[in-house]
Amino acid sequence: MSKESAELELQVRNVTVGYPNGNIALRDATFHLSAGCICALVGINGSGKSTLFKAVMGFVRPIRGEVLISGQPVKTALKRNQVAYVPQSEEVDWSFPVSVWDVVLMGRYGYMNFLRISRAEDRRIAAESLSRVGMLEFRERQIGELSGGQRKRVFLARALAQRSRVILLDEPFTGVDVKTEGTIIELLRELRAAGHIILVSTHNLGSVPEFCDQVVLVNRTVLAFGPTVEIFTEANLARAFGGTLRHFRFDESTVQKHDGRSVTVLTDEERPLVFGKGGHLEYGQRAGRESVVEQRAEPEDGP
Amino acid sequence: MIDTLLLPFQYEYMLKAICVSGLIGGVCAFLSCFVTLKGWSLMGDALSHSVVPGVAVAYQLDWPFAAGAFVTGLLAALGMGFVKTKTRLREDAVIGVVFTSFFALGLLLISLFPARVDLRSIVFGNILGISDPDILQVLIISGVTLVVLGLKWNDLKLFCFDPNQARALGINTTVLHFTLLTLLSATAVAALQTVGACLVVAMLVTPGATAYLLTDRFGIMIGIAVSMGIGSSLAGAYVSYFFDGSTGGCIVTLQSALFVLALVFGPKHGLLAARAKRRAAFLA
Repeated sequence: MSKESAELELQVRNVTVGYPNGNIALRDATFHLSAGCICALVGINGSGKSTLFKAVMGFVRPIRGEVLISGQPVKTALKRNQVAYVPQSEEVDWSFPVSVWDVVLMGRYGYMNFLRISRAEDRRIAAESLSRVGMLEFRERQIGELSGGQRKRVFLARALAQRSRVILLDEPFTGVDVKTEGTIIELLRELRAAGHIILVSTHNLGSVPEFCDQVVLVNRTVLAFGPTVEIFTEANLARAFGGTLRHFRFDESTVQKHDGRSVTVLTDEERPLVFGKGGHLEYGQRAGRESVVEQRAEPEDGP
Repeated sequence: MIDTLLLPFQYEYMLKAICVSGLIGGVCAFLSCFVTLKGWSLMGDALSHSVVPGVAVAYQLDWPFAAGAFVTGLLAALGMGFVKTKTRLREDAVIGVVFTSFFALGLLLISLFPARVDLRSIVFGNILGISDPDILQVLIISGVTLVVLGLKWNDLKLFCFDPNQARALGINTTVLHFTLLTLLSATAVAALQTVGACLVVAMLVTPGATAYLLTDRFGIMIGIAVSMGIGSSLAGAYVSYFFDGSTGGCIVTLQSALFVLALVFGPKHGLLAARAKRRAAFLA
Protein backbone atom coordinates (compact mmCIF):
# COMPACT_ATOMS: atom_id res chain seq x y z
CA MET A 1 0.00 0.00 0.00
CA SER A 2 1.29 3.44 -0.91
CA LYS A 3 2.34 5.99 1.68
CA GLU A 4 -0.59 8.22 0.80
CA SER A 5 -3.17 5.54 1.52
CA ALA A 6 -1.68 4.90 4.95
CA GLU A 7 -2.51 8.50 5.86
CA LEU A 8 -6.12 8.34 4.74
CA GLU A 9 -8.42 9.20 7.61
CA LEU A 10 -11.96 10.47 8.11
CA GLN A 11 -12.56 12.54 11.22
CA VAL A 12 -15.89 13.91 12.34
CA ARG A 13 -15.41 16.20 15.34
CA ASN A 14 -18.26 17.56 17.47
CA VAL A 15 -20.44 18.17 14.44
CA THR A 16 -23.70 19.96 15.20
CA VAL A 17 -26.11 20.64 12.35
CA GLY A 18 -29.22 22.79 12.54
CA TYR A 19 -32.01 23.39 10.06
CA PRO A 20 -33.18 26.86 8.95
CA ASN A 21 -36.29 26.50 11.15
CA GLY A 22 -34.06 26.28 14.22
CA ASN A 23 -34.32 22.55 14.90
CA ILE A 24 -31.11 20.75 15.68
CA ALA A 25 -30.81 17.64 13.53
CA LEU A 26 -27.57 16.38 14.98
CA ARG A 27 -25.64 17.36 18.09
CA ASP A 28 -21.95 16.84 18.87
CA ALA A 29 -21.42 13.93 16.50
CA THR A 30 -17.91 12.53 16.77
CA PHE A 31 -16.26 9.51 15.19
CA HIS A 32 -13.22 8.66 13.13
CA LEU A 33 -12.32 6.02 10.59
CA SER A 34 -8.96 5.04 9.18
CA ALA A 35 -7.95 3.56 5.85
CA GLY A 36 -9.29 0.16 4.84
CA CYS A 37 -12.66 -0.16 6.48
CA ILE A 38 -16.32 -0.63 5.67
CA CYS A 39 -18.39 1.29 8.16
CA ALA A 40 -22.16 1.18 8.56
CA LEU A 41 -24.05 4.29 9.57
CA VAL A 42 -27.05 2.91 11.42
CA GLY A 43 -30.11 4.68 12.76
CA ILE A 44 -33.84 5.09 12.24
CA ASN A 45 -35.38 7.62 9.85
CA GLY A 46 -35.16 11.05 11.41
CA SER A 47 -32.22 10.05 13.61
CA GLY A 48 -29.95 12.53 11.83
CA LYS A 49 -28.31 9.71 9.91
CA SER A 50 -28.77 11.36 6.53
CA THR A 51 -27.78 14.72 8.00
CA LEU A 52 -24.52 13.21 9.22
CA PHE A 53 -24.09 11.74 5.75
CA LYS A 54 -24.61 15.14 4.17
CA ALA A 55 -22.18 16.74 6.60
CA VAL A 56 -19.49 14.24 5.63
CA MET A 57 -20.19 15.09 1.96
CA GLY A 58 -19.99 18.80 2.73
CA PHE A 59 -23.61 19.34 1.59
CA VAL A 60 -24.63 20.93 4.88
CA ARG A 61 -22.43 23.24 6.88
CA PRO A 62 -22.24 22.37 10.58
CA ILE A 63 -23.04 25.12 13.10
CA ARG A 64 -20.21 23.76 15.19
CA GLY A 65 -17.51 21.17 14.69
CA GLU A 66 -15.71 20.01 11.58
CA VAL A 67 -15.28 17.12 9.18
CA LEU A 68 -11.72 16.40 8.10
CA ILE A 69 -10.55 14.00 5.41
CA SER A 70 -6.85 13.22 5.79
CA GLY A 71 -6.61 16.40 7.86
CA GLN A 72 -8.17 18.57 5.13
CA PRO A 73 -11.59 20.23 5.22
CA VAL A 74 -14.24 18.40 3.14
CA LYS A 75 -14.36 21.20 0.57
CA THR A 76 -10.69 20.70 -0.29
CA ALA A 77 -11.17 16.94 -0.36
CA LEU A 78 -14.08 17.27 -2.81
CA LYS A 79 -12.00 19.45 -5.15
CA ARG A 80 -9.34 16.72 -5.13
CA ASN A 81 -11.88 14.05 -6.07
CA GLN A 82 -11.35 12.28 -2.77
CA VAL A 83 -15.01 11.64 -2.02
CA ALA A 84 -17.44 9.69 -4.20
CA TYR A 85 -21.11 9.21 -3.57
CA VAL A 86 -23.64 6.58 -4.62
CA PRO A 87 -27.13 8.07 -4.32
CA GLN A 88 -30.27 6.40 -3.09
CA SER A 89 -32.37 5.13 -6.01
CA GLU A 90 -35.29 7.42 -5.12
CA GLU A 91 -33.11 10.49 -5.60
CA VAL A 92 -32.36 9.77 -9.25
CA ASP A 93 -34.50 10.93 -12.18
CA TRP A 94 -34.54 7.66 -14.15
CA SER A 95 -36.24 9.15 -17.20
CA PHE A 96 -33.44 11.69 -17.69
CA PRO A 97 -32.04 11.39 -21.23
CA VAL A 98 -28.62 9.99 -20.35
CA SER A 99 -27.06 6.63 -21.13
CA VAL A 100 -25.15 4.34 -18.78
CA TRP A 101 -21.96 5.56 -20.42
CA ASP A 102 -22.85 9.25 -19.84
CA VAL A 103 -23.47 8.56 -16.16
CA VAL A 104 -20.16 6.79 -15.64
CA LEU A 105 -18.29 9.57 -17.45
CA MET A 106 -19.84 12.02 -14.97
CA GLY A 107 -17.58 10.40 -12.39
CA ARG A 108 -14.63 11.71 -14.41
CA TYR A 109 -15.79 15.35 -14.67
CA GLY A 110 -13.46 16.37 -11.86
CA TYR A 111 -10.48 15.24 -13.94
CA MET A 112 -11.66 16.84 -17.18
CA ASN A 113 -10.97 20.36 -18.42
CA PHE A 114 -13.25 23.41 -18.29
CA LEU A 115 -15.40 22.09 -21.15
CA ARG A 116 -15.64 18.57 -19.63
CA ILE A 117 -14.37 16.87 -22.75
CA SER A 118 -13.31 13.32 -21.97
CA ARG A 119 -9.80 12.18 -22.82
CA ALA A 120 -8.78 8.64 -23.76
CA GLU A 121 -7.70 8.07 -20.15
CA ASP A 122 -11.17 9.05 -18.85
CA ARG A 123 -12.86 6.69 -21.29
CA ARG A 124 -10.48 3.87 -20.43
CA ILE A 125 -11.18 4.23 -16.70
CA ALA A 126 -14.93 4.54 -17.30
CA ALA A 127 -14.95 1.34 -19.38
CA GLU A 128 -12.84 -0.45 -16.78
CA SER A 129 -15.21 0.62 -13.99
CA LEU A 130 -18.25 -0.54 -15.94
CA SER A 131 -16.76 -3.94 -16.63
CA ARG A 132 -15.79 -4.26 -12.97
CA VAL A 133 -19.49 -4.19 -12.05
CA GLY A 134 -20.39 -6.30 -15.11
CA MET A 135 -22.32 -3.54 -16.89
CA LEU A 136 -20.07 -2.78 -19.87
CA GLU A 137 -22.43 -4.40 -22.36
CA PHE A 138 -25.23 -2.08 -21.24
CA ARG A 139 -23.28 1.12 -21.90
CA GLU A 140 -25.62 2.42 -24.61
CA ARG A 141 -28.81 1.86 -22.58
CA GLN A 142 -30.82 4.75 -21.25
CA ILE A 143 -30.61 4.43 -17.45
CA GLY A 144 -34.36 3.97 -17.00
CA GLU A 145 -34.23 0.77 -19.06
CA LEU A 146 -32.25 -1.07 -16.40
CA SER A 147 -33.39 -3.22 -13.49
CA GLY A 148 -33.00 -2.01 -9.91
CA GLY A 149 -29.80 -3.95 -9.37
CA GLN A 150 -28.28 -2.84 -12.67
CA ARG A 151 -29.07 0.80 -11.89
CA LYS A 152 -27.27 0.54 -8.59
CA ARG A 153 -24.25 -1.05 -10.24
CA VAL A 154 -24.03 1.79 -12.79
CA PHE A 155 -23.83 4.37 -10.01
CA LEU A 156 -21.28 2.23 -8.22
CA ALA A 157 -19.25 2.22 -11.45
CA ARG A 158 -19.47 6.01 -11.50
CA ALA A 159 -18.03 6.13 -7.99
CA LEU A 160 -15.26 3.74 -9.07
CA ALA A 161 -14.50 5.90 -12.11
CA GLN A 162 -14.03 8.84 -9.79
CA ARG A 163 -11.09 7.00 -8.16
CA SER A 164 -11.95 8.42 -4.73
CA ARG A 165 -10.42 7.19 -1.49
CA VAL A 166 -13.63 7.76 0.47
CA ILE A 167 -16.87 6.29 -0.91
CA LEU A 168 -20.30 6.92 0.57
CA LEU A 169 -23.28 4.71 -0.27
CA ASP A 170 -26.82 5.69 0.67
CA GLU A 171 -29.07 2.65 1.23
CA PRO A 172 -27.23 0.53 -1.36
CA PHE A 173 -29.41 -2.56 -0.93
CA THR A 174 -32.86 -1.06 -1.31
CA GLY A 175 -34.63 -2.44 -4.37
CA VAL A 176 -31.66 -4.60 -5.28
CA ASP A 177 -31.67 -8.30 -6.21
CA VAL A 178 -29.67 -10.86 -4.25
CA LYS A 179 -27.09 -11.24 -7.01
CA THR A 180 -26.36 -7.51 -7.10
CA GLU A 181 -26.20 -7.39 -3.32
CA GLY A 182 -23.51 -10.06 -3.52
CA THR A 183 -21.65 -8.17 -6.26
CA ILE A 184 -21.75 -4.92 -4.29
CA ILE A 185 -20.51 -6.54 -1.08
CA GLU A 186 -17.75 -8.33 -2.96
CA LEU A 187 -16.66 -5.06 -4.56
CA LEU A 188 -16.73 -3.17 -1.28
CA ARG A 189 -14.46 -5.80 0.26
CA GLU A 190 -11.99 -5.39 -2.61
CA LEU A 191 -12.04 -1.62 -2.09
CA ARG A 192 -11.45 -2.08 1.63
CA ALA A 193 -8.50 -4.32 0.87
CA ALA A 194 -7.15 -1.55 -1.36
CA GLY A 195 -7.27 0.86 1.58
CA HIS A 196 -10.44 2.84 0.88
CA ILE A 197 -12.83 4.15 3.52
CA ILE A 198 -16.38 3.06 2.76
CA LEU A 199 -19.29 4.55 4.63
CA VAL A 200 -22.66 2.86 4.13
CA SER A 201 -25.87 4.40 5.35
CA THR A 202 -28.38 1.62 5.93
CA HIS A 203 -31.42 0.54 7.87
CA ASN A 204 -30.85 -3.05 6.82
CA LEU A 205 -29.52 -4.30 10.16
CA GLY A 206 -29.00 -7.89 9.11
CA SER A 207 -26.50 -7.07 6.40
CA VAL A 208 -24.30 -5.01 8.73
CA PRO A 209 -22.47 -7.83 10.55
CA GLU A 210 -22.08 -9.64 7.24
CA PHE A 211 -19.81 -7.07 5.62
CA CYS A 212 -19.19 -4.04 7.82
CA ASP A 213 -16.24 -4.12 10.20
CA GLN A 214 -17.10 -0.76 11.79
CA VAL A 215 -20.39 0.71 12.95
CA VAL A 216 -21.54 4.21 13.83
CA LEU A 217 -24.85 4.23 15.73
CA VAL A 218 -26.81 7.43 15.28
CA ASN A 219 -29.72 8.85 17.19
CA ARG A 220 -29.59 12.66 17.19
CA THR A 221 -25.90 12.23 17.98
CA VAL A 222 -23.32 9.47 17.63
CA LEU A 223 -24.33 7.01 20.35
CA ALA A 224 -21.42 4.68 19.81
CA PHE A 225 -18.82 3.83 17.19
CA GLY A 226 -16.19 1.15 16.75
CA PRO A 227 -15.80 -2.45 15.59
CA THR A 228 -19.10 -4.12 14.73
CA VAL A 229 -18.62 -6.95 17.22
CA GLU A 230 -18.28 -4.51 20.12
CA ILE A 231 -20.91 -1.98 19.06
CA PHE A 232 -23.67 -4.19 17.70
CA THR A 233 -25.10 -5.29 21.02
CA GLU A 234 -28.73 -5.60 21.95
CA ALA A 235 -28.35 -2.83 24.52
CA ASN A 236 -26.81 -0.38 22.04
CA LEU A 237 -29.37 -1.17 19.34
CA ALA A 238 -32.19 -0.67 21.80
CA ARG A 239 -30.76 2.79 22.49
CA ALA A 240 -30.45 3.60 18.81
CA PHE A 241 -33.84 2.32 17.76
CA GLY A 242 -35.91 2.81 20.89
CA GLY A 243 -39.03 0.71 20.61
CA THR A 244 -39.18 0.69 16.83
CA LEU A 245 -37.64 -2.73 16.22
CA ARG A 246 -39.87 -5.76 16.10
CA HIS A 247 -38.70 -8.49 18.45
CA PHE A 248 -39.01 -12.21 18.12
CA ARG A 249 -37.76 -13.83 21.32
CA PHE A 250 -37.32 -17.56 20.94
CA ASP A 251 -37.66 -18.26 24.65
CA GLU A 252 -41.07 -16.60 24.74
CA SER A 253 -42.10 -18.06 21.40
CA THR A 254 -43.57 -21.36 20.41
CA VAL A 255 -40.10 -22.53 19.42
CA GLN A 256 -39.42 -25.51 21.67
CA LYS A 257 -36.41 -26.82 23.56
CA HIS A 258 -35.11 -23.70 25.20
CA ASP A 259 -32.79 -23.73 28.12
CA GLY A 260 -33.20 -20.28 29.65
CA ARG A 261 -30.79 -18.62 27.24
CA SER A 262 -32.30 -17.24 24.07
CA VAL A 263 -31.59 -16.70 20.43
CA THR A 264 -33.03 -13.33 19.36
CA VAL A 265 -33.88 -12.27 15.84
CA LEU A 266 -34.19 -8.54 15.17
CA THR A 267 -35.45 -7.26 11.85
CA ASP A 268 -37.02 -4.10 10.54
CA GLU A 269 -37.97 -5.44 7.15
CA GLU A 270 -35.04 -7.03 5.43
CA ARG A 271 -32.30 -9.36 6.60
CA PRO A 272 -32.79 -10.40 10.21
CA LEU A 273 -30.19 -9.52 12.80
CA VAL A 274 -29.56 -12.50 15.04
CA PHE A 275 -28.05 -12.56 18.52
CA GLY A 276 -26.96 -15.96 19.82
CA LYS A 277 -27.53 -17.47 23.22
CA GLY A 278 -24.48 -15.77 24.66
CA GLY A 279 -25.76 -12.39 23.42
CA HIS A 280 -23.16 -12.34 20.66
CA LEU A 281 -23.70 -11.67 16.94
CA GLU A 282 -24.63 -14.60 14.74
CA TYR A 283 -23.72 -14.60 11.04
CA GLY A 284 -25.83 -15.93 8.19
CA GLN A 285 -23.05 -18.06 6.73
CA ARG A 286 -20.72 -20.43 8.56
CA ALA A 287 -18.32 -20.40 5.65
CA GLY A 288 -15.33 -18.19 6.45
CA ARG A 289 -16.30 -17.95 10.10
CA GLU A 290 -15.25 -21.44 11.24
CA SER A 291 -13.08 -19.96 13.97
CA VAL A 292 -16.05 -18.11 15.46
CA VAL A 293 -18.11 -21.29 15.54
CA GLU A 294 -15.24 -23.19 17.13
CA GLN A 295 -14.70 -20.55 19.81
CA ARG A 296 -18.30 -20.61 20.81
CA ALA A 297 -18.71 -24.37 20.59
CA GLU A 298 -17.47 -24.97 24.09
CA PRO A 299 -19.57 -22.67 26.26
CA GLU A 300 -22.75 -23.34 24.28
CA ASP A 301 -22.46 -27.08 24.53
CA GLY A 302 -21.35 -27.02 28.15
CA PRO A 303 -23.57 -28.04 31.04
CA MET B 1 -46.86 32.45 -57.20
CA ILE B 2 -43.16 32.58 -56.43
CA ASP B 3 -43.35 36.34 -56.37
CA THR B 4 -46.07 36.14 -53.73
CA LEU B 5 -44.04 33.70 -51.65
CA LEU B 6 -40.99 35.95 -51.82
CA LEU B 7 -43.02 39.05 -51.03
CA PRO B 8 -42.21 39.16 -47.26
CA PHE B 9 -38.50 39.27 -48.03
CA GLN B 10 -38.87 42.53 -49.90
CA TYR B 11 -39.68 44.40 -46.73
CA GLU B 12 -36.79 45.21 -44.44
CA TYR B 13 -39.01 45.02 -41.35
CA MET B 14 -40.13 41.50 -42.31
CA LEU B 15 -36.55 40.35 -42.92
CA LYS B 16 -35.48 41.71 -39.54
CA ALA B 17 -38.50 40.15 -37.84
CA ILE B 18 -37.85 36.74 -39.39
CA CYS B 19 -34.13 36.72 -38.54
CA VAL B 20 -34.55 37.98 -34.97
CA SER B 21 -37.36 35.49 -34.33
CA GLY B 22 -35.20 32.65 -35.61
CA LEU B 23 -32.34 33.66 -33.33
CA ILE B 24 -34.54 34.02 -30.25
CA GLY B 25 -36.33 30.77 -31.08
CA GLY B 26 -33.02 28.91 -31.22
CA VAL B 27 -31.67 30.38 -27.97
CA CYS B 28 -34.92 29.75 -26.11
CA ALA B 29 -35.01 26.18 -27.41
CA PHE B 30 -31.44 25.49 -26.22
CA LEU B 31 -32.37 26.73 -22.77
CA SER B 32 -35.71 24.88 -22.85
CA CYS B 33 -33.85 21.55 -22.62
CA PHE B 34 -32.49 22.53 -19.20
CA VAL B 35 -35.77 24.11 -18.13
CA THR B 36 -37.83 20.99 -18.82
CA LEU B 37 -35.29 18.60 -17.30
CA LYS B 38 -34.79 20.75 -14.20
CA GLY B 39 -38.56 21.08 -13.77
CA TRP B 40 -38.42 24.85 -14.01
CA SER B 41 -41.26 25.35 -16.51
CA LEU B 42 -43.37 27.20 -13.97
CA MET B 43 -40.32 29.24 -13.03
CA GLY B 44 -39.91 30.25 -16.69
CA ASP B 45 -43.53 31.35 -16.80
CA ALA B 46 -43.07 33.32 -13.58
CA LEU B 47 -39.91 35.06 -14.75
CA SER B 48 -41.38 36.02 -18.12
CA HIS B 49 -44.29 37.75 -16.39
CA SER B 50 -42.13 39.30 -13.69
CA VAL B 51 -40.01 41.23 -16.17
CA VAL B 52 -43.00 43.32 -17.29
CA PRO B 53 -42.77 46.08 -14.61
CA GLY B 54 -39.06 46.38 -15.35
CA VAL B 55 -39.74 46.86 -19.06
CA ALA B 56 -42.37 49.49 -18.29
CA VAL B 57 -40.07 51.46 -16.00
CA ALA B 58 -37.13 51.14 -18.40
CA TYR B 59 -39.09 52.58 -21.33
CA GLN B 60 -40.34 55.36 -19.09
CA LEU B 61 -36.81 56.32 -18.06
CA ASP B 62 -35.26 55.67 -21.48
CA TRP B 63 -33.08 52.87 -20.16
CA PRO B 64 -32.35 49.79 -22.22
CA PHE B 65 -35.46 47.66 -21.73
CA ALA B 66 -33.29 44.61 -20.98
CA ALA B 67 -31.72 46.29 -17.95
CA GLY B 68 -35.04 47.06 -16.32
CA ALA B 69 -36.50 43.69 -17.16
CA PHE B 70 -33.48 41.95 -15.82
CA VAL B 71 -33.67 43.75 -12.48
CA THR B 72 -37.32 42.90 -11.83
CA GLY B 73 -36.87 39.34 -13.12
CA LEU B 74 -34.07 38.74 -10.66
CA LEU B 75 -36.00 40.50 -7.87
CA ALA B 76 -38.89 38.13 -8.51
CA ALA B 77 -36.59 35.09 -8.46
CA LEU B 78 -35.01 36.22 -5.19
CA GLY B 79 -38.45 37.04 -3.78
CA MET B 80 -39.68 33.54 -4.58
CA GLY B 81 -36.59 32.00 -3.00
CA PHE B 82 -37.03 34.15 0.11
CA VAL B 83 -40.75 33.44 0.59
CA LYS B 84 -40.18 29.72 -0.01
CA THR B 85 -37.48 29.33 2.65
CA LYS B 86 -39.25 31.53 5.20
CA THR B 87 -42.76 30.11 5.00
CA ARG B 88 -44.39 26.72 4.93
CA LEU B 89 -46.04 27.42 1.57
CA ARG B 90 -45.43 25.03 -1.27
CA GLU B 91 -43.35 26.18 -4.19
CA ASP B 92 -46.20 26.41 -6.71
CA ALA B 93 -48.17 28.67 -4.40
CA VAL B 94 -45.14 30.89 -3.82
CA ILE B 95 -44.47 31.18 -7.56
CA GLY B 96 -48.14 31.90 -8.24
CA VAL B 97 -48.31 34.69 -5.68
CA VAL B 98 -45.02 36.37 -6.55
CA PHE B 99 -45.22 36.42 -10.33
CA THR B 100 -48.79 37.64 -10.50
CA SER B 101 -47.85 40.45 -8.10
CA PHE B 102 -45.08 41.56 -10.42
CA PHE B 103 -47.21 41.20 -13.53
CA ALA B 104 -50.05 43.18 -11.96
CA LEU B 105 -47.63 45.92 -10.96
CA GLY B 106 -46.38 46.02 -14.54
CA LEU B 107 -49.90 46.34 -15.97
CA LEU B 108 -50.66 49.09 -13.49
CA LEU B 109 -47.51 51.05 -14.41
CA ILE B 110 -48.21 50.74 -18.12
CA SER B 111 -51.81 51.88 -17.72
CA LEU B 112 -50.66 54.88 -15.63
CA PHE B 113 -48.09 56.00 -18.23
CA PRO B 114 -49.62 54.90 -21.52
CA ALA B 115 -47.81 57.33 -23.80
CA ARG B 116 -44.38 55.77 -23.67
CA VAL B 117 -45.09 52.05 -24.03
CA ASP B 118 -47.79 50.05 -25.62
CA LEU B 119 -49.36 47.42 -23.38
CA ARG B 120 -50.17 45.23 -26.35
CA SER B 121 -46.58 45.06 -27.55
CA ILE B 122 -45.32 43.90 -24.14
CA VAL B 123 -48.04 41.37 -23.45
CA PHE B 124 -48.37 40.04 -27.00
CA GLY B 125 -45.03 41.02 -28.53
CA ASN B 126 -44.34 43.27 -31.48
CA ILE B 127 -41.52 41.80 -33.51
CA LEU B 128 -42.64 43.56 -36.69
CA GLY B 129 -42.05 46.92 -35.06
CA ILE B 130 -38.79 46.09 -33.29
CA SER B 131 -36.36 49.01 -33.17
CA ASP B 132 -32.66 48.76 -33.97
CA PRO B 133 -31.49 49.41 -30.37
CA ASP B 134 -33.85 46.64 -29.24
CA ILE B 135 -32.39 44.31 -31.86
CA LEU B 136 -28.92 45.09 -30.54
CA GLN B 137 -30.02 44.14 -27.01
CA VAL B 138 -31.52 40.89 -28.28
CA LEU B 139 -28.26 40.12 -30.12
CA ILE B 140 -26.18 40.72 -26.99
CA ILE B 141 -28.46 38.60 -24.78
CA SER B 142 -28.52 35.77 -27.31
CA GLY B 143 -24.76 35.90 -27.84
CA VAL B 144 -23.97 35.73 -24.12
CA THR B 145 -26.53 32.96 -23.53
CA LEU B 146 -25.21 30.86 -26.39
CA VAL B 147 -21.61 31.24 -25.22
CA VAL B 148 -22.41 30.29 -21.62
CA LEU B 149 -24.60 27.33 -22.62
CA GLY B 150 -22.10 26.22 -25.25
CA LEU B 151 -19.22 26.20 -22.79
CA LYS B 152 -20.93 24.87 -19.68
CA TRP B 153 -23.70 22.62 -20.96
CA ASN B 154 -22.05 19.52 -19.52
CA ASP B 155 -21.91 21.08 -16.06
CA LEU B 156 -25.50 22.27 -16.38
CA LYS B 157 -26.57 18.81 -17.53
CA LEU B 158 -24.97 17.27 -14.45
CA PHE B 159 -26.57 19.98 -12.29
CA CYS B 160 -30.02 19.13 -13.67
CA PHE B 161 -29.50 15.38 -13.45
CA ASP B 162 -27.70 14.92 -10.15
CA PRO B 163 -26.85 18.11 -8.22
CA ASN B 164 -25.38 16.03 -5.39
CA GLN B 165 -22.82 14.45 -7.70
CA ALA B 166 -21.95 17.94 -8.97
CA ARG B 167 -21.32 19.01 -5.37
CA ALA B 168 -19.37 15.85 -4.63
CA LEU B 169 -17.07 16.78 -7.53
CA GLY B 170 -16.42 20.14 -5.88
CA ILE B 171 -18.48 22.05 -8.48
CA ASN B 172 -20.17 25.15 -7.06
CA THR B 173 -23.85 24.36 -7.61
CA THR B 174 -25.03 27.71 -6.23
CA VAL B 175 -23.19 29.42 -9.07
CA LEU B 176 -24.75 27.03 -11.60
CA HIS B 177 -28.20 27.60 -10.10
CA PHE B 178 -27.92 31.35 -10.47
CA THR B 179 -26.32 31.06 -13.89
CA LEU B 180 -29.31 29.12 -15.14
CA LEU B 181 -31.72 31.52 -13.43
CA THR B 182 -29.96 34.53 -14.94
CA LEU B 183 -29.95 33.02 -18.43
CA LEU B 184 -33.63 32.24 -18.00
CA SER B 185 -34.55 35.84 -17.12
CA ALA B 186 -32.33 37.25 -19.86
CA THR B 187 -33.81 34.97 -22.50
CA ALA B 188 -37.32 35.67 -21.27
CA VAL B 189 -36.62 39.36 -21.88
CA ALA B 190 -35.39 38.67 -25.42
CA ALA B 191 -38.36 36.46 -26.19
CA LEU B 192 -40.71 39.12 -24.87
CA GLN B 193 -39.96 41.07 -28.04
CA THR B 194 -41.11 38.30 -30.33
CA VAL B 195 -44.03 36.57 -28.72
CA GLY B 196 -44.88 38.76 -25.72
CA ALA B 197 -44.95 38.04 -22.01
CA CYS B 198 -47.87 35.64 -22.20
CA LEU B 199 -46.28 33.25 -24.67
CA VAL B 200 -42.62 33.40 -23.63
CA VAL B 201 -43.02 30.29 -21.53
CA ALA B 202 -44.04 28.34 -24.65
CA MET B 203 -40.72 29.21 -26.32
CA LEU B 204 -38.91 28.20 -23.13
CA VAL B 205 -40.65 24.85 -22.66
CA THR B 206 -42.27 23.44 -25.81
CA PRO B 207 -39.13 22.70 -27.89
CA GLY B 208 -37.42 20.96 -24.96
CA ALA B 209 -40.57 19.03 -24.07
CA THR B 210 -41.01 17.93 -27.70
CA ALA B 211 -37.41 16.82 -28.04
CA TYR B 212 -37.64 14.96 -24.73
CA LEU B 213 -40.43 12.82 -26.21
CA LEU B 214 -38.28 11.98 -29.23
CA THR B 215 -34.93 10.91 -27.80
CA ASP B 216 -33.10 9.38 -24.86
CA ARG B 217 -29.84 11.27 -25.48
CA PHE B 218 -29.16 14.69 -24.10
CA GLY B 219 -27.02 15.88 -27.04
CA ILE B 220 -29.65 14.79 -29.56
CA MET B 221 -32.35 16.40 -27.44
CA ILE B 222 -30.55 19.75 -27.70
CA GLY B 223 -30.15 19.30 -31.47
CA ILE B 224 -33.83 18.53 -32.02
CA ALA B 225 -35.02 21.33 -29.74
CA VAL B 226 -32.80 23.97 -31.32
CA SER B 227 -33.70 22.97 -34.88
CA MET B 228 -37.35 23.03 -33.94
CA GLY B 229 -37.02 26.40 -32.19
CA ILE B 230 -35.24 28.05 -35.11
CA GLY B 231 -37.41 26.41 -37.77
CA SER B 232 -40.76 27.15 -36.15
CA SER B 233 -39.76 30.76 -35.38
CA LEU B 234 -38.54 31.47 -38.90
CA ALA B 235 -41.59 29.83 -40.42
CA GLY B 236 -44.01 31.39 -37.95
CA ALA B 237 -42.72 34.91 -38.53
CA TYR B 238 -42.79 34.35 -42.31
CA VAL B 239 -46.30 32.91 -42.35
CA SER B 240 -47.64 35.68 -40.13
CA TYR B 241 -47.14 38.10 -43.05
CA PHE B 242 -49.76 36.27 -45.13
CA PHE B 243 -52.21 35.71 -42.30
CA ASP B 244 -51.68 39.24 -41.14
CA GLY B 245 -51.94 37.62 -37.74
CA SER B 246 -49.97 37.78 -34.51
CA THR B 247 -46.37 36.65 -35.03
CA GLY B 248 -46.18 35.17 -31.54
CA GLY B 249 -49.41 33.30 -32.13
CA CYS B 250 -48.09 31.82 -35.39
CA ILE B 251 -44.78 30.70 -33.87
CA VAL B 252 -46.26 29.13 -30.77
CA THR B 253 -49.11 27.45 -32.69
CA LEU B 254 -46.52 25.87 -34.97
CA GLN B 255 -44.50 24.66 -31.97
CA SER B 256 -47.60 23.24 -30.33
CA ALA B 257 -48.47 21.39 -33.53
CA LEU B 258 -45.00 19.85 -33.59
CA PHE B 259 -45.41 18.87 -29.94
CA VAL B 260 -48.69 17.10 -30.69
CA LEU B 261 -47.06 15.25 -33.59
CA ALA B 262 -44.23 14.09 -31.32
CA LEU B 263 -46.70 13.12 -28.62
CA VAL B 264 -48.70 10.92 -30.97
CA PHE B 265 -46.10 9.58 -33.41
CA GLY B 266 -42.90 9.65 -31.31
CA PRO B 267 -40.97 6.45 -32.18
CA LYS B 268 -40.26 5.43 -28.60
CA HIS B 269 -42.29 7.50 -26.15
CA GLY B 270 -45.20 8.48 -28.42
CA LEU B 271 -48.78 7.39 -27.69
CA LEU B 272 -48.95 5.07 -30.71
CA ALA B 273 -45.61 3.46 -29.87
CA ALA B 274 -46.71 2.93 -26.27
CA ARG B 275 -49.92 1.34 -27.49
CA ALA B 276 -48.04 -0.98 -29.85
CA LYS B 277 -45.72 -1.93 -27.01
CA ARG B 278 -48.65 -2.75 -24.73
CA ARG B 279 -50.24 -4.84 -27.44
CA ALA B 280 -46.98 -6.70 -28.11
CA ALA B 281 -46.58 -7.38 -24.38
CA PHE B 282 -50.17 -8.63 -24.26
CA LEU B 283 -49.70 -11.00 -27.17
CA ALA B 284 -46.34 -12.32 -25.98
